[in-house]
Amino acid sequence: MLRSSARSISLRLTVLVIAGGFVTLSAQQPQAASPQHALINQYCVGCHNAKLKTGGLALDTANVEDTSQSPEVWEKVVRKVRARYMPPAGMPRPDEKAYQSLVSYLETSLDQSNAAHPNPGRTAALRRLTRTEYQNAIRDLLGLQVDVTQLLPADDSSFGFDNITVGELSPTLLERYVAASRKISRLAIGGPVRSPNGDTILIPPDLTQEEHFDELPFGTRGGTAVPYIFPQDAQYEIALKLTRDRNEHIEGLAVPTDVELMLDGERVHLFTVKPANVIVGIRNANSIPSDDLVDKDLHIRIPVKAGTHTLGVAFPKKDPSLLLETERQPGQAHFNMYRHPRIHPALYSIVVIGPYDATGAGDTLSRQRIFVCHPANPSEEASCAKQILSNFARRAYRRPVTDTDLQIPLKLYQDARTAGGFEAGIERGLRALLVSPEFLFRVEQDPANIAPNTPYRLTDLELASRLSFFLWSSIPDDELLDLAITGKLKEPAVLEKQVRRMLRDARSETLVNNFADQWLYLRNLDAIIPDAREFPDYDDNLRKAMRRETELFVESIMREDRNVLDLLSANYTFLNERLAKHYGVPNVYDSYFRRVTFDANSPRGGLLGQGSILTVSSYADRTSPVIRGKWILTNIVGLPPPPPPPNVPPLKDNGSTGKVLTMRERMAAHRAVQPCAGCHSLMDPVGFSLENYDAVGRWRNAEEDAPIDASGNLPDGVKFAGVTGLRHALLSRPELFVTTLTEKLMTYGLGRGLESYDAAAVRRIVRDAGSSDYRFSSVILGIVNSTPFQMRRSQ
Amino acid sequence: MIVTKKALPRRTFLRGAGVAMALPLLDAMIPSFSSGAAISPVRRLGFVYIPMGCNWFEFFPKEVGNITKLSPTLSTLTPVMDQVTVISNLELKNSYSPGNHVTSNSGFLSAARAKMTEGADYELATTVDQIAAKQLGKETRLPSLELAMDLTTPIGACDGGMSCVYGNSLSWSSPTTPLPAEANPRVVFERLFGDGGSSADQLAALREDGSLIDFVNEDIAHVQRKLGAGDRTKLSQYLDTVRELERRIQKAEQQMATSAMPDLTRPLGVPSEYGEHAKLMFDLQVLAMQADITRVITFQLAREASTRTYPEVGVTEAHHPTSHHGNDPGKLAQLAKINAFHVSLFAYYMERLKATRDGDGSLLDHSMILLGSGMGNPDVHNHVNLPIVLAGGGAGKLKGGRHIKYNEPVPLANLHLTLLDKVGIHQDKFADSRGRVDELLAV
Repeated sequence: MLRSSARSISLRLTVLVIAGGFVTLSAQQPQAASPQHALINQYCVGCHNAKLKTGGLALDTANVEDTSQSPEVWEKVVRKVRARYMPPAGMPRPDEKAYQSLVSYLETSLDQSNAAHPNPGRTAALRRLTRTEYQNAIRDLLGLQVDVTQLLPADDSSFGFDNITVGELSPTLLERYVAASRKISRLAIGGPVRSPNGDTILIPPDLTQEEHFDELPFGTRGGTAVPYIFPQDAQYEIALKLTRDRNEHIEGLAVPTDVELMLDGERVHLFTVKPANVIVGIRNANSIPSDDLVDKDLHIRIPVKAGTHTLGVAFPKKDPSLLLETERQPGQAHFNMYRHPRIHPALYSIVVIGPYDATGAGDTLSRQRIFVCHPANPSEEASCAKQILSNFARRAYRRPVTDTDLQIPLKLYQDARTAGGFEAGIERGLRALLVSPEFLFRVEQDPANIAPNTPYRLTDLELASRLSFFLWSSIPDDELLDLAITGKLKEPAVLEKQVRRMLRDARSETLVNNFADQWLYLRNLDAIIPDAREFPDYDDNLRKAMRRETELFVESIMREDRNVLDLLSANYTFLNERLAKHYGVPNVYDSYFRRVTFDANSPRGGLLGQGSILTVSSYADRTSPVIRGKWILTNIVGLPPPPPPPNVPPLKDNGSTGKVLTMRERMAAHRAVQPCAGCHSLMDPVGFSLENYDAVGRWRNAEEDAPIDASGNLPDGVKFAGVTGLRHALLSRPELFVTTLTEKLMTYGLGRGLESYDAAAVRRIVRDAGSSDYRFSSVILGIVNSTPFQMRRSQ
Repeated sequence: MIVTKKALPRRTFLRGAGVAMALPLLDAMIPSFSSGAAISPVRRLGFVYIPMGCNWFEFFPKEVGNITKLSPTLSTLTPVMDQVTVISNLELKNSYSPGNHVTSNSGFLSAARAKMTEGADYELATTVDQIAAKQLGKETRLPSLELAMDLTTPIGACDGGMSCVYGNSLSWSSPTTPLPAEANPRVVFERLFGDGGSSADQLAALREDGSLIDFVNEDIAHVQRKLGAGDRTKLSQYLDTVRELERRIQKAEQQMATSAMPDLTRPLGVPSEYGEHAKLMFDLQVLAMQADITRVITFQLAREASTRTYPEVGVTEAHHPTSHHGNDPGKLAQLAKINAFHVSLFAYYMERLKATRDGDGSLLDHSMILLGSGMGNPDVHNHVNLPIVLAGGGAGKLKGGRHIKYNEPVPLANLHLTLLDKVGIHQDKFADSRGRVDELLAV
């Protein structure tokens, strides 16, 4: 993950010093070979010399006695040596003691030179909020939970995170920000709309709706509960549609069925749908009229108060015998007409149209946040408008605002005020602030008159934003902002107290659903549709349950401030009935998640036994030891294999013998030929150890009647078997995993890829966390207190 | 270019149940040129990307020159064969890189080498569609439209060392400005036609947007004064963005004056089936061209290294591992099925363009649409003998029913240079071009 960089100041400075007079001294060094020099000569330079330059590395010309001459080289070396990647398994290797002393020497030496020439790196001066950050900022500013995926394009990912390459403002993007500001300011104020709007909430088509959902009342099955923002106190038309099969018939509708519509958990209406033709036995495409009319009456116009309410739809379970009926079915999934049809009708969509006959904007959370004053008469309007906009701008811009900042927003307010009244004016003013580059971009500026390439400390305001975007993926709150404005935030005790407060706050859930979702690739789950023939039991319920399991698990590590190694070694997880059945864990019933504790050596403790991760690292129809191996090397061990080189040679056709090859045999071809072998011999054996889990994470002892061979090894060459062996191997060098997690968190927190000059800071964080049992908070605090987080290098 | 309620009956848009819904209150705006101004045949450019190359054996027609029969993979294009030219042996030398996937995507329209970086310092080149858009887009509200099919951004699936942006964006309006692509049909629809209201309402909304943009302009200048020289460059790029948006708003206001108000139906969201989703995206492209909202469109049918499966055509193994066929006949057959499926969706697009009247002919007559991939043989990740199909009448400047086959590899950039010629943009060179596709110039 560390990249070498030509911009390293420490490197430049050191070279200068050496050119100034010590050249002859360092040239003589090789004769008086130190132990580390002898070790490098004996085990490394055979391949890594100026002539061969294996892996682009020449160690015979680099000076191990003075690592400050080329720290980026030695950072690479120590990384590989620390993980016992090098020398490659099978080649002569030093003994453990020699390994340790080399690592210790290199780390100490690199840390010293880094301390002498600190380089905090330079996060870009202008960084656009990601769409997740934008969504959270809107929530914190206005109390509105908007679905930002409908408003803004997705952000690109680099170094594994979507907050790195965020420097651009393309016309497409600006156009979308302008449109988003219109919708959001309108929703927030609840101003009159020109015409009613229509929204459709589609239910995932592969959601099985035979069982009870946690968020809906007991005694019901299926349906959905979704938050919806009602812009005004008004009438709204709500229409439901049921799922249809390919013949356009409503699925599972054999008998009259009740459908309940709820608002904030209270029944609004109970509908009953009846089959178009109730004569049993002749229900087929020819004899039955269209089902078009069957659910046409599932709509109702109701008064709703402005604000966010939960719309619920569910099917009351009438008859306990229906339960028996589901148990006759072999699988859990019921959504596919041919393979596993629905037994009962299911919800397809909810359409909300409105507002009609609006009576006002109501009293919503957004309005409470916005209207910090209410003008009693027109003469108070101007000063109140200024108060409202300045209050909003302070939070949106994350800094104190000046009159200059408000000049144009107030003018826009005035224009709209004249045309449409006070609230219309405020709406326009808010719109302006929402498209302001000072809201949309995080700006970090060099102090005036600073020399180029000089490390400097961030202002308290910049630090406040770094903190809030790191821990909350959102803007600072008032407490944080006040401390920054008064200049107290930088005080170590104050800072630590704030970090602990922020971690306790519910908003830190973004470390799970934004950070961990990306780190562990949970985001990719939505795009994975396992082959329905191989995995007929996979549906949206299972997909959601898998994701929820991992999120709850990571959250427990954070909230309980556990040792981060528990992420690998914990003996518990979180399951609901659906996921427990999938894993073969007994005695877990109903749809809510609860903590389930396992015996030692159970295959299900820790991240490596979780369905989400095993599924995102598989193909639709089979496991992929390559992807799983790469996933572990990248996200756990911290040594991602390089991508395949250009122009790889084709593998020899091995299908001609007619023999069905096992996964292991097929993969063997990769490791038999160069240039594939170089990396596949690192990745594949790691992935093999997880072969007891199939492509959706179920346990298996055999594949195609052949017993599973789950033997494998990490790149250090030590052999082990199965997930338990892998777990032990990973935990035998705990600093590797903690380093990887720290680097991932830092990349995310800084919004840039890490460079070789960041390695010293990472080592320090890991060391310090080690003395606090690697508690989650100790890693976070270590990062917040680090040089790269608190400082920046001028341009 | 008369686009009215009558010209766009609701049914043409409403594909299959559940894909779109009709609500009179969701009226949308379609500008038209019914005022009688003489418009010369509009040249429109489209680019459709298929990832991970193809099964060569099934893709290229056997005959060379004027052909009588298309290949198995291309057979669904038979109804428009007289407007289809297949070109073989084009290559992308600059796409060779570690991994090769994201650079197949980034090279397709740029033919340029992507700077190897995962940081914010990514760099490519202005893509051919964007060069064309700078010219063709002067007259339209949107200079270009960028579309895709994948709703989620992949994590960890991009080639190591390369930013995912190379694999996500086909179109780059400058070497450092990738354009994000949209995959949600409803969002695309709202970008094209607004989100409801009468034309007076929409006009008022546009004016409001205009005043807002003025503010953004001022605000950028304000930030600019605070920053150092290097960062100021970035901000001046933002100012260009603001100017472009001002132009779009003015254009929209002008078009509003002559607009008709068809009873269009707005897509609900994203159809769950891939084929339905793709067809809806093609419908939107036809609409955008028909209403002359844009004349340049790029569309990524799937991402490089996509692990999508295509059970609807019997392919249950993921596309990426299938593409590593190792010359296994079974896998090659599966790969050909995926290729043929993608081509059949493209054929749907062609037929829709052909069926849509445009001046004295059809939209297809006045368009040039390129279908292809930046990878050749996916098994070895190479960039030679790319699958390339050029369709459309090019306003009388293209002759179809042909298979142009080069004996030696020729840069894909030659074709891009030729396409630019056809739309009236004459450059000496494009990326690594070494000439033009003379066979296409002849017409």
